[in-house]
Amino acid sequence: MKRSRIALTAAALIMPTLASGAPAATKSAPPPPPYAGVYQPRGVDEIGIWRDEDEEERQLSNSPLVIRDEALNSYVKGVLCTAVGPDRCKAARIYILRTPVFNATMAPNGTMRVFTGLLLRMRSEAELAAVLGHEFGHFESRHGLNRFKAARSGTDLLSWAAVLTSMSGSYQSQSSFNSLQLSVYGGLFHYQRDNEREADLLGLGYLNASTLRPQAASQVWQNVMGEAEASASARGLKKPRFDAIAFTASHPPDAERAAYLSALASPEGASRDDGAARYAKAISSWLPLFLDDQIKLNDFGASEYIITMLSSGGWTAPLWCARGDLYRARGNQRDLVAAAEFYNNAVALDPKLPEAQRGLGLALLKTGRVSEGKAALSRYLALKPDAPDAAMIGMLTAKDS
Amino acid sequence: MLSKKLFAVAFAAVLFVTPATAQERTAVKKGFDLASGSGKTVLVMRPTVRVGAQSTGGMFEPNGDWTERSKKNIEIALTKIQGKLGNKIVVAPEAFGDGARLTEEYAALFAAVSQSVINYQFFVGNRLPTKKRDNKANIFDWSLGSGVANLPGAKDADYALFIYNKDAYGSTGRKLLQAVALLGPGIAVKSGEHAGYAGLVDLRTGDVLWLNADGAMGGDVRTAEGADKRVGQLLEGFPGSQSEKTSVTTAAVAKP
Amino acid sequence: MARLSTCTLIAAIMLCAFAAMPSLAGNALREKGKPATISGSPLTVTPSRDWNRLAISPGKKTELWTLDGENLNDVTFFAGIEPGKPLVREVSKKRKPLPKFTSNTLLVEVPELLEGTYRASKDIATFTVSGAKPDRFLEHDGIRFTYDYVDEDALPRRGEGRAALIKGLLYMATYDAPRLHYYDRTLEDFHALTDAAKLN
Repeated sequence: MKRSRIALTAAALIMPTLASGAPAATKSAPPPPPYAGVYQPRGVDEIGIWRDEDEEERQLSNSPLVIRDEALNSYVKGVLCTAVGPDRCKAARIYILRTPVFNATMAPNGTMRVFTGLLLRMRSEAELAAVLGHEFGHFESRHGLNRFKAARSGTDLLSWAAVLTSMSGSYQSQSSFNSLQLSVYGGLFHYQRDNEREADLLGLGYLNASTLRPQAASQVWQNVMGEAEASASARGLKKPRFDAIAFTASHPPDAERAAYLSALASPEGASRDDGAARYAKAISSWLPLFLDDQIKLNDFGASEYIITMLSSGGWTAPLWCARGDLYRARGNQRDLVAAAEFYNNAVALDPKLPEAQRGLGLALLKTGRVSEGKAALSRYLALKPDAPDAAMIGMLTAKDS
Repeated sequence: MLSKKLFAVAFAAVLFVTPATAQERTAVKKGFDLASGSGKTVLVMRPTVRVGAQSTGGMFEPNGDWTERSKKNIEIALTKIQGKLGNKIVVAPEAFGDGARLTEEYAALFAAVSQSVINYQFFVGNRLPTKKRDNKANIFDWSLGSGVANLPGAKDADYALFIYNKDAYGSTGRKLLQAVALLGPGIAVKSGEHAGYAGLVDLRTGDVLWLNADGAMGGDVRTAEGADKRVGQLLEGFPGSQSEKTSVTTAAVAKP
Repeated sequence: MARLSTCTLIAAIMLCAFAAMPSLAGNALREKGKPATISGSPLTVTPSRDWNRLAISPGKKTELWTLDGENLNDVTFFAGIEPGKPLVREVSKKRKPLPKFTSNTLLVEVPELLEGTYRASKDIATFTVSGAKPDRFLEHDGIRFTYDYVDEDALPRRGEGRAALIKGLLYMATYDAPRLHYYDRTLEDFHALTDAAKLN
């Protein structure tokens, strides 16, 4: 797709935004300015004795959290390049981190971190592109706005993680995103509200000029809100307040954001592909792992919401098995009955899935269906004789009821 | 299983109510002595630097910009001070893959060991009874384990110097709290945390031979001058260096 | 007047700090050869060497013992967790609930309960149960399991747990330590502690 040659400077892009306090909601986001190449390599003389490389990136690349799978990494990089174009995406180095948080960040030096919690929640390349494009927007506009940097002292820059924390509203959940692990590997940056809008504008600009469907950006927000509602509801909490300013008051409220993201998306892009099928295929071998990480966080409402969303692409054996795990973990009697049903659906689709046989066996045992339960556990052992807990399960199959 | 956050909050609460005490301590393993010009080689490990803000509630909020800047400042300061350390210095080589990951794991382990020394042996308020006993008997017995010999660069050196630095600058809220703590003399509300540890480790055994810990360091490491001051403090009394205090070798672990 | 209200504010904050804190009793010595009761429960442990018991613990009915500090070796005793309760104290029951031990939790599911507790309370995804086998504990049929995880301080740790379900309550002892040097160093001491543990 041919990119527009309109020579908008970054400042010109930003000034109207700040003056009005909101982006021009009636027009689509303009195409991004010509790419100036934002990352300037530093001179060798800057650091005395060690090679010129960022401490954070060094630690990041050696982190036990990084997923090093080449196929997944090149796929995610590919989506970024589709979103922002080949010139821009050269500036980014992507790290995928095994952390069950919905987040992506981009550091000033071009390090982009993508958390597995984000990959779990994206339904298409267009949605992933929307998030990555937004982060790239922060990265790009930061360097174009030195005067704003000077005006702020000690700026803290926030990323999407802040949105999720703001929904829970409590300081404790806020602090969970400030944990040392995330701080070292997550590169959390704290943005001001106007910077968030600015990144949205740029992000949509990239997307409008790409081959992907820009309406996906608003969809991401809808899903974020839906999940937060489901989570709060299952916990007996009042609905999260979407139109209230968040805890840190530094980024736009969610309902408003979904609305203007929708308005910023170019209408002629609505008929484009969003790459849902390609995304599902690329992520399919990782999905059970990321979903398992999510389920084990003990957030029933959010996990159920995500499973339901995933099922719109069709129920698979691993997805039924995951739902069984979710219900078995909560463990009320009626949950266990439901779990048995879900595991049964899983084994009906794939009798060779060992975890489903194991879960089925345990759920049946716990709901008084002992002989059926033992049979399922025996099938599990036959499928996975070297399972870590084979000896324990073996005892259950042998014992008299 | 104890959540590190919960522990940090509880421990901070302990400091909240105790009178302000000395926050700096140095210890030397009994029998260790390293003279200047000894012919031994010290491997200088890449320092671990964390810089951020401390919220009103005392939680650490990392700041990428500050950390990056401080890291560079500290490294430059270390370069300048090398010549004064008294013995041959070798900088840890650039490592990749498994060697790099091992280095990171040891840096994390050093931080954990230093934290334990500070929390449980060095300072009054929270000592472990067995460590109190060690203090009385002049025992300083901590180790990273003999696996340190596998660190990149280890085979060409006798000792390794590890440095860990964490700065949490007090936020407005916490400074306010500090300002209104009017309950009486001696009650100190800590605003901000500026902790640093420097340790010398035997590369054959992993034993910590010298540890300098300071829980209230000066110098704003976000500036070059501040980093100079900080590194100077961290390496004060480094065995064999010109700045060595003679009192160091008599194991300065304090009375319980 | 202003001074009074400021004092009230500070007092309120300190009261909160105190309430949130466990008793200021201090870290205690657990002497070699002297039987020690865990958290006022029927569980007694007679150490084969001197240990330290931390003033703070992760929850009711738990105690944390250590030689060098919980970062380096952490033995946690869970002395009779009741059905419906989590293993450790919840920071927020409503906003961050932890998995609960229930009356129909099976012994084979205890490692999953520990895993879920660690993952949910620490927001980590790096936890693996590496093995689980039947093993006697407190003179009852029990389980012994091992695990690996990476905590918030980015230091990979290894762990071993021993548990039994006795009269509907969960009794468990876990041992966590960095996999570099520390895990191996104190593993046998953990075994000695748990082998000698008794339920009165």
